[in-house]
Amino acid sequence: MARLTVIEGGRAEAERPGPSASPAPGLLEDLYRRHAPAVYGRCRFLLRDPEAARDATQDVFARALRALPEFRAAASPTTWLMRIATHHCLNLLRAARAGWRDEVRRAADGRRAQGLEPDRRELVRALLGAAPVEAREAAVLYYVDEMTQEEIALATGRSLPTVRKRLRQFLASARAALAEACPGLTLPEGDEP
Amino acid sequence: MTLALGGPGLACSAMRLRRLAAGELLGEERARAEEHLAGCARCQATAREIEAERRDLAESLPFQEFAAGVAERLARPAQGPLVLRALPLALAAGLAVAAATPLLLRLTRPEDGTRPKGGASAVLFAQEGAAVRALAPGDPIPEGARLRLSLVPAGRRNAAVYVVDADGAALLYAGPALAGPLPDAFEWTGGGPGTLLVLLSDGPLDAVALAARLGREGARAEPPPGAEAVRLPLRRGRR
Repeated sequence: MARLTVIEGGRAEAERPGPSASPAPGLLEDLYRRHAPAVYGRCRFLLRDPEAARDATQDVFARALRALPEFRAAASPTTWLMRIATHHCLNLLRAARAGWRDEVRRAADGRRAQGLEPDRRELVRALLGAAPVEAREAAVLYYVDEMTQEEIALATGRSLPTVRKRLRQFLASARAALAEACPGLTLPEGDEP
Repeated sequence: MTLALGGPGLACSAMRLRRLAAGELLGEERARAEEHLAGCARCQATAREIEAERRDLAESLPFQEFAAGVAERLARPAQGPLVLRALPLALAAGLAVAAATPLLLRLTRPEDGTRPKGGASAVLFAQEGAAVRALAPGDPIPEGARLRLSLVPAGRRNAAVYVVDADGAALLYAGPALAGPLPDAFEWTGGGPGTLLVLLSDGPLDAVALAARLGREGARAEPPPGAEAVRLPLRRGRR
């Protein structure tokens, strides 16, 4: 018979991770239950393609597992993962943003035909294509995730003035994009972050 | 038409609601968030969207598929082996419930046309001191390392796990094919080479009779009808 020694339970009880460290039946399942809906939602929102969103979601969690100590040390795992997801998707979108004018028109006019206001987040998503690359993440965190500028600064490791500057960059580009693509739609003046 | 793009409200924050849904808010912060949610139509709408995302995920990317995809990414050679330092063995093995990566062997038996039920695999974790790592294909088993196998049974009902080497076959586990780490870790004290053999089946497995047959025929013995096999090579040495 092959020689082996079975170690019942594997380790001493005291060394086992507690429920908060390793909720049964496994870390990945816990991550999936707690965080994957939001990550998948973010990926679908930004990528507009279920297949691409599935791939991106799995990419994000693979990345999180590789950076497990960093993930576990994050003040908010949700915020940490959503940042990773946002960043990942924005990177994927970089090369495919030539059609932002059409997207802005669709986002602005799609619901107006039914007498409804444009969906704000859809409009923000479309306007990302016209925004400077460095302003996009801050725009998503502010307008979509509704994080305060202070929370964004904390989450991204940027200074508050930098966050404010990037939001203003986004708003300026959004105004210019709307003026070009949808002259009938404007953003309120004096609404600077 | 003038339209504001939104942004955080005085007490409204989609991210805070996500954190609430994920169980991240505690104590007073949680109570405040719940109280606000109860009286805020805007946040209630956001909460409904968060719930809809949960349903959407369950339909579009079920856990098993998600886990297999994550495992596949972690296993990509360009990324190098996944090293989980200072993680308790059980936690690391828990990762493999489906993250299941470096020593992931798909159940493929094209020679007899058996079609895998989808992504069944197994991962072997080794603990040396405080460090735990998933063993990559071909990684030697260090002397004295505590080993724990984690299964991704992909819907199979029963499992039997054997260590087969030059000394014969030893039964390590027989029972329900539960996803995740086996209840017991083990130390392989035999010489190499050997094989860790996982048999998965929807029907019952006569684990003791199979051990006898594996002892006679070795790890390449034909699995019982309807059963599928995952074989992980074992060899002695240090990295």
